[in-house]
Amino acid sequence: MLLEIRKVSMIFGGLAALKDVDFRLEEGQILGLIGPNGAGKTTLFNAITSFLHPTAGEIFFNGEKISGLRTHEITNRGISRTFQNIRLFDQMTVEENVMVGRHTRSRAGVWNSVLRTGFQRKEEARIREKTDELLDLVGLQGHNQSPASSLPYGFQRRVEIARALAGEPRLILLDEPVAGMNDNETEEMARLIKKILGFGITILLIEHDMSMVMKVCDRLVVLNFGEKIAEGAPREIQNNPQVIEAYLGREEE
Amino acid sequence: MINPYYLQIASFILINILLGLSIYITLCTGQLSLGSAGFMSIGAYTSALLTVKLGLPIPLGLLAGGLLAAVIGLLIGLPTLRLTGVYLAIATLGFGEVVRVVFINWESLTSGAVGIAGIPHLGRTILARLQAAGFSPESWGLKNNEFISLTVFLILLFLTLLTLLFFSRLLKSRVGRAFQAIRLDEKAAEAMGINTTYYKILTFVQGAALAGFAGALFAHVTGYISPADFTYHRAVEILVFAVFGGSEVLWGPVFGAGFLTLMPELLRGLSEYRYFIYGTILVVLMIFRPQGVIDRPLLDRLRGRRNEGKDAA
Repeated sequence: MLLEIRKVSMIFGGLAALKDVDFRLEEGQILGLIGPNGAGKTTLFNAITSFLHPTAGEIFFNGEKISGLRTHEITNRGISRTFQNIRLFDQMTVEENVMVGRHTRSRAGVWNSVLRTGFQRKEEARIREKTDELLDLVGLQGHNQSPASSLPYGFQRRVEIARALAGEPRLILLDEPVAGMNDNETEEMARLIKKILGFGITILLIEHDMSMVMKVCDRLVVLNFGEKIAEGAPREIQNNPQVIEAYLGREEE
Repeated sequence: MINPYYLQIASFILINILLGLSIYITLCTGQLSLGSAGFMSIGAYTSALLTVKLGLPIPLGLLAGGLLAAVIGLLIGLPTLRLTGVYLAIATLGFGEVVRVVFINWESLTSGAVGIAGIPHLGRTILARLQAAGFSPESWGLKNNEFISLTVFLILLFLTLLTLLFFSRLLKSRVGRAFQAIRLDEKAAEAMGINTTYYKILTFVQGAALAGFAGALFAHVTGYISPADFTYHRAVEILVFAVFGGSEVLWGPVFGAGFLTLMPELLRGLSEYRYFIYGTILVVLMIFRPQGVIDRPLLDRLRGRRNEGKDAA
């Protein structure tokens, strides 16, 4: 079991953003996290990455308890994420953004950098090589030197994914990767997600686009008002009356 | 040919460049520290006391000054790290004042407000050594005071270039990218696996060490220091180097320190009016170029490589 969410609750004042949420994710799988707005999906991402600390419950990654660790320690253990409202380093180039993502897989410190040791130069070359590979993968070859903020929205999402992959994670958390994209772009993103799975990387996906979720996910977990109301294969979820009532039956928000 | 007056101004420009860089390097992780004057005074007093009272050689005093400033920077940096923006600025400004008051009141050690005179002068000490070894500046066609000023200038130039090389390499590495990521979005940087606490303390300590080192040099260039040299006016002056020159790139504080040290001297003929002009230039610049004179797009243009597509300005 790669990721285990054990009875995680997140209470803000009197409001329970998450209540006893409990599920598991096997290595190599892709699990979709769905539910109406405000259901607690992003809160759960924030709990997994220690942006927030759960008020109750525990989170295990690869058999080790990670709840309570600091964010960078969790990333170091192999969990990367993207953000719902894209958080690229705006004043950096596309290439620099991805290179920052490689931080956990490189070592050079102050003295190696200042003295330009052979070790540092080799590592730097490797970082660039990896960056080019990833920009190729997400279809942004040739955009290396563009300022990240100058790219169209859809491209920025792909830079975020390349940046998250640069740390060679075992698990990647994608927060609404196709929000605001047209059909073509969505199709491309679905292909990219399949490719990432093909590398053996496990994916936890938050997504509102139902056709996409149904197409790419192995399993789904449905949240509503902070509680898990259903879990299962996409087909089962589609026909679950509770889910239909809570989510699928509603109009797009 | 060699005018000691010009060389002295050039030497102060170099010391001010080091001070400007000290505030810049801490700013690289988004922390505005106004403790530079405080760290500068720690370096200056440490080196002055070690050389005057214990007779230690100047290089040892300089190292000790930078080192003690770094240690105190670490002690101050750890608790103040939780503060950001204007709160950190106020706390570090307060720290500088505390240090100054300590130097004023610890009379048995520092002679209080009177200050420390007779600090071994960098240039004169070297000349004395060389003369003892049989060298005479006359053989180079230089008067003694010309040789002294020239030596000081060259040593400072070497140290400043070394510092610039150090930081320009550091900023273009994995460590520099981590600094920049923290400055632009601390939470996102952490999500990249960057230990933000470590890097923030690192830049705070580097800034403190550099200010302490510059302060120690200052003591051995002027030969006399007193608490009045390290008031909060000094802290603000150092801040203005970075703000005026540009706080986004390494060359910003270099230009700021150079220009702002030189200008009052150039305008000396205008007597009292020069500070009026100095102030006006600052106000006008902040209105039309709030990011400072030197920024990334300007550097790119100077290097002749334009970004394709959009102009990042």
